[in-house]
Amino acid sequence: MKRNLWFSLAVSVLLACFAQAQRVGEPVPDFQATDSNGHIQKLSQYRGKFVVLEWHNNGCPYTRKHYESGNMQRLQKEWRDRGVIWFTVISSAPGLQGYVTAPEENEYLKRMNAVPTAALLDPQGDLGRLYAAKTTPHMFIIDPKGVLIYDGAIDSKATTDQSDIATATNYVSQALEEAMGGRPVSTPTSRPYGCSVKYAH
Amino acid sequence: MCFLLIGSMWFLWPMATLAIDSADQHAKLELVSEQDAIVPHRQLRLGIRFDLEEGWHTYWINPGDSGEPPRIEWELPAGFKAGSIQWPYPSRLSTPPLVDYGYEHQVLLAVLIRPPRQLEDGAAEKIVAHIRYLVCRDVCIPGQKQLVLTLPVKAHAGASSDLPVFESTQPRLPKPMPAGWRISAASKGDEFQLTLKTRPLARDLQFFPLEPEQIDTGAPQTLSVLPGAVRLHLKKSNHLLKPISHIQGVMVISGTAYMVDIPVSLASR
Repeated sequence: MKRNLWFSLAVSVLLACFAQAQRVGEPVPDFQATDSNGHIQKLSQYRGKFVVLEWHNNGCPYTRKHYESGNMQRLQKEWRDRGVIWFTVISSAPGLQGYVTAPEENEYLKRMNAVPTAALLDPQGDLGRLYAAKTTPHMFIIDPKGVLIYDGAIDSKATTDQSDIATATNYVSQALEEAMGGRPVSTPTSRPYGCSVKYAH
Repeated sequence: MCFLLIGSMWFLWPMATLAIDSADQHAKLELVSEQDAIVPHRQLRLGIRFDLEEGWHTYWINPGDSGEPPRIEWELPAGFKAGSIQWPYPSRLSTPPLVDYGYEHQVLLAVLIRPPRQLEDGAAEKIVAHIRYLVCRDVCIPGQKQLVLTLPVKAHAGASSDLPVFESTQPRLPKPMPAGWRISAASKGDEFQLTLKTRPLARDLQFFPLEPEQIDTGAPQTLSVLPGAVRLHLKKSNHLLKPISHIQGVMVISGTAYMVDIPVSLASR
C-alpha cells in the first residue's frame, strides 16, 4: 500500500512536465493518480465517456455548501447514472485544510453519501497544477474524445449560502446536457469560486 | 452514565472548538460616519471599517483566483439613497501558484449616502447595514453582520471621531488619470499590453483588472521601456475564449491608483 503510494507519487511527478494550464477546446494530456481505495486511475481508461473532475476540500465553506445541502451528491448520482465518470480530486497538502488519508476519505464519502466514481488523492498537487485548479470546488469536464469542454465554477452564484443553489444556473449540468445533446457548450468557462486549493508551499 | 457522558463530550470537543471559530474572531466590523450629523439633502460618507487580525484578509471587488468580495445591503430611512462601494485599491496576496486581490490589517469600504430634502431637525435617523463577507488566512470563514448607526439631523455637521480613517483611505481610492497622460491597450497573442505615456515616466506599476477571467492573476506583470513610454505586459487568462473590447481596472503607479477604462485595440495583432 505504502509502496503503491510512493510509486504513484513518482509517476505523478512526471505530470508536472505539463506545467501549462489546460484550455477549453483542446485535448488534455493523460494523467494517473491513486484513488482512496488504492487503485490507479488513468484518464485514458475512460476514453469514450464524459469525465468530470471536482476539486474538493471537506473543510472549505464553499465545498460544504454543496455537500451539506446534498447538491454535489445529487449531481454525482444523476450524472453517473447517465454514464459519466466523476472524479473528486483532493490536492490539499499534508497539514493543510482538506488533507485526508485514504481511510479518512472513504469514511467521509460514506458519511456524506457521496458517490463519485473515485476520489483521487493528490497531496503533492501535481494533478491540481496540471489543470491549474484554483478553488474548491473547481469543476472540469472532459468529453469522450478527451477534449476539455468546461473549466470553471459549479454554478452561477458565488456564495457560501445553501439557499442560493436552487436559483443558480448549474454550469456542470448545463454543459453535460448540451454536450450529450450534440450542442455546443454555452458557458464553457466561468470564474471558479471558493477557497484556494491548499497546495504544498 | 457519567462515564458515557464524559466519553461523548470528549469526542465532541474538537467539533465544539471548530464551531466557535467564527469570522467575528478574525475581523471586527464597524459602521462609521465621516461626519457627526445628517444634513438634509447633503450627501455624507458612511463606511464599513474592517479591522482584521494579523495574517487574515478580506477581498477586493475582483477577488482574484479565490475568495469573495464583501457585500453590503442597506436598510435606510425613507427617502435616503446609497451609492456603490468606493473600493480602495487592493494588495496582491500571493500563495503560489495562486494570487488573490484583497486587504490585510484595516480597510474602509466607504459609500455615499444621500439624505432627502425634508428631514426633521433634531430627529435621530437609524441606518442599518447587513454585511456578508469572507475572511481567510490559510482557511476561509464566511461571516454575516448587522451593523447599526444612529445619527442626529442638524442644519450643519462637523467632523466625527472617525474622520481620520476616511482621510487615510482617500489616497487609496482610484482617481482619473491626469490630463496629458496617455494610456492605450492592445491585444497581442497571449498578452494584453498597456502602454503608458506619463510625466515623469512611470516605473513602478501594477494593474488590477476589474473583471475576473481576463488576465492570468498569478502571472507576473512585466514592464518594458519604449522611447517616451512604458508598456505593461499582462498574460491573458486561459479562460478568455473571445476577444474583449474594453479593459477596466485600477493602475497603481508608485502607490497612487488611477482608474482605467479603455478600448482594447486588435490592430497590432
